[in-house]
Amino acid sequence: MFGLVAAGWAMGMALPPLATAQVSEADFKALQETVQKLSDKVQILEQTNIIKEQTHEKDVQQLQQLQEKLAETQRTAADAEQKSVAAAQTQPLPRVPIDEATVNHNFQILGDAEFQYDKTAGQHGAFLLADFAPIFLYRAGDNILFEAGFDTTIQNNATNSPGYTTTFNLSFAQLDYVMNDYVTLAVGDLLLPLGTYTERGAGWLNKIPDNPLAVNALIPGSGVGAELLGAVPLGDAGKFINYSVYGVNGPGSADGTGNAGALDLGGNVGLRSDGVVANLHGSPSGGARLGFFVPFKPHYDLELGISGQSGEWDNAGNHLWSAGVIDAALHLGPNFEAKGEYIVSRYGSDDLGLIRQQGWFLQAGYKLAGLNLELPVINNLELVGRYDSLHDGLGTTTERYTAGYVYYFTSTLLFEGDYEFFHSTDSSQVNQLIFQLSLGF
Amino acid sequence: MNKSKQLKALVQTTFAAVIAAMVIGGLASTLYFAEQISAAPPPNTDSASSQTNSVETKAGSPDTNKVVVKRKLTGAELYSIHCNRCHAERYPTERTGAQWKTIMLHMQVRANIPVSQAKLILQYLQENSGR
Repeated sequence: MFGLVAAGWAMGMALPPLATAQVSEADFKALQETVQKLSDKVQILEQTNIIKEQTHEKDVQQLQQLQEKLAETQRTAADAEQKSVAAAQTQPLPRVPIDEATVNHNFQILGDAEFQYDKTAGQHGAFLLADFAPIFLYRAGDNILFEAGFDTTIQNNATNSPGYTTTFNLSFAQLDYVMNDYVTLAVGDLLLPLGTYTERGAGWLNKIPDNPLAVNALIPGSGVGAELLGAVPLGDAGKFINYSVYGVNGPGSADGTGNAGALDLGGNVGLRSDGVVANLHGSPSGGARLGFFVPFKPHYDLELGISGQSGEWDNAGNHLWSAGVIDAALHLGPNFEAKGEYIVSRYGSDDLGLIRQQGWFLQAGYKLAGLNLELPVINNLELVGRYDSLHDGLGTTTERYTAGYVYYFTSTLLFEGDYEFFHSTDSSQVNQLIFQLSLGF
Repeated sequence: MNKSKQLKALVQTTFAAVIAAMVIGGLASTLYFAEQISAAPPPNTDSASSQTNSVETKAGSPDTNKVVVKRKLTGAELYSIHCNRCHAERYPTERTGAQWKTIMLHMQVRANIPVSQAKLILQYLQENSGR
């Protein structure tokens, strides 16, 4: 505006007097309005320019900030790259494990636990932690398995010794190597294939809380040695024969003598109490089992087996201990099963000569769901019974009749109850009522 | 005293006889029905199982020819045969496929079943496993 006024004044001064024209008032007012409008426009332009300058300044500041951040990010990336290079040089990147090879899936804990209430004739009833028996499995590849089982029990201390003792016993520990489709090598503290009860009937797998008398008394459950086992299919209908051949240290003598009462079925593990690695006697025992399995259709099958073991037992090696077992198991539908074993054993002794022992058991179970009564409790109930007979060859004969039931809370949580009627020349064998809750896992 | 002994003996004999009768009766009926059960044709023959089926005709008198269909047992059937012999059946969804691989190796050794059958059972378990 100032410039325009100055221009107007300059023109007025520059023009000669004669050039001065008379300007009407209307013209002057029009000129004044024009100047005012121009002045207003200039003012607006100036304000707009100021705003633009301010915005530009903000943009410049923001741009500077972004440039600083970019620089920082570049520095951080450079540092990280240097660190990763350094780490890679010192430690190789760990392999990301595939699902199958993770150690968590290769390692499993199975097993069972049993809790009882027992009422033995002539004794006070008692609750009992009958057993906690974990089984550890570790698969070291497609064909290699290490498996070990333990039994944990608790027992009162002797009179005048307060408290109780926990016993943690290794029941088996073996390494299995599947060499091919027909031969598996097993070494270690083996579950022996004398009959099938020891391998497949113990713990929660047994529908009656007690083990059969003859199995406990006449044959060893485990032995330290090596075994070859396998099965050969017979056709495509599921039939097969299976075999086991093994060598173990064998039974020993508890006191080193050959007296009949010194026979120790399970105490010869290769490491003596004085720390010497040695078999208690000169020769290991050998044994074998041959089995035949025929399924007629699912839940209908028959298994027969014959097995035996023989070897020295006394330290002097003068006497042999031998045992033979015939086993059978039958399933007729999903609701009925029967199984049994006949066991004979013979061993020579210094004091009583040849000891002949024999025993057998026959066990059957029927699930009441087979009656199709559609009653809630009945459908989960199974009735079981067993007959045991044992002649120990030392003058004691025992018969036991067991009648009981199994209630299936689930397929792995079993509530068992039975009453055992004893008839024995051993007066310590008395009737017993047992309730048991067992869990298989 | 003599009478009670006689009664005990009677109870013992009866108990043993009942158990023995169950077993013998079961064996007899199993053997009696065995051939019919083995020779029975499968209920449904789908395209998958038909690949493993083989059909043979028994030569007999002209009016009594029988067609016997042989087929391999599937993993599911082998599972039903073996996996409840010792314990109640476990559901495949209880474990992952990798866990079943470890457990089946243990079961194969314990039950001493053919490796070929164990592999089919494992395949069935893994195909139906949980997680």
